[in-house]
Amino acid sequence: MKWRTTLCISACALLPGLLGGCALSMEQVQPWEMDRLARSEMALEVDPLMAGYRRHAQFSKEAATGGASVSGGGCGCN
Amino acid sequence: MRTLLAALCCLAAVSSLPALAVSVGESAPIIEAPARDGSAFNLETLRGEVVYLDFWASWCPPCRAAMPALDALHEQLGERGFSVVGINVDRSRDAALRMLKSVPVEFPIVFDPEGHWAARYALPGMPSGFLVDRKGIVRYRHEGYSAGDVPALKQEIERLLEEEEQ
Repeated sequence: MKWRTTLCISACALLPGLLGGCALSMEQVQPWEMDRLARSEMALEVDPLMAGYRRHAQFSKEAATGGASVSGGGCGCN
Repeated sequence: MRTLLAALCCLAAVSSLPALAVSVGESAPIIEAPARDGSAFNLETLRGEVVYLDFWASWCPPCRAAMPALDALHEQLGERGFSVVGINVDRSRDAALRMLKSVPVEFPIVFDPEGHWAARYALPGMPSGFLVDRKGIVRYRHEGYSAGDVPALKQEIERLLEEEEQ
């Protein structure tokens, strides 16, 4: 019984450390790796031309001034 | 068993911490990397000189801006026993060589495409520079670049050169 308790406490203590290790080592882009962020596949919108077209169509159809860069739908209600 | 578990906990906690950059007062890790001329560079060969290790990349505009100033320091103070070593961290050597064509420098360039030495020095940012004295100890660290940083860097280099000439 005592062993089980010790094992449970140790596992609980170990788990955040291990998970923390994953979070830090897997997600953090190091300063010398920053070029990866500039790759086209890292962009939120893969095709900038298509993204511009889509935004233009959206704000034309919605009659929203400012397109995606201004909040509100152009109706004056928000 | 308890000791083993405690040791594992400590190991997990330590491994989750980010690596700390090489600090002032520590020995500079001996860089061994391929040089631009095809030879194998070893930092140990510059022991006895004051060396500024400049970590740079072609995609980093401040690194590019720093190159002419560092080259000028390398030329001005070279006779007194000072040298700049540029450690390029580009994944593509061609990208680095293209930049060196547009910003030519005289100081030696070595390549670290895997980021091995960048990780070993745990660079806090780009560019990062480490001024190493004649005994191989890091005496000054610099992060980023603006033209106003050069006088302070030059002063540090001259202080080290004078200190060790005595």
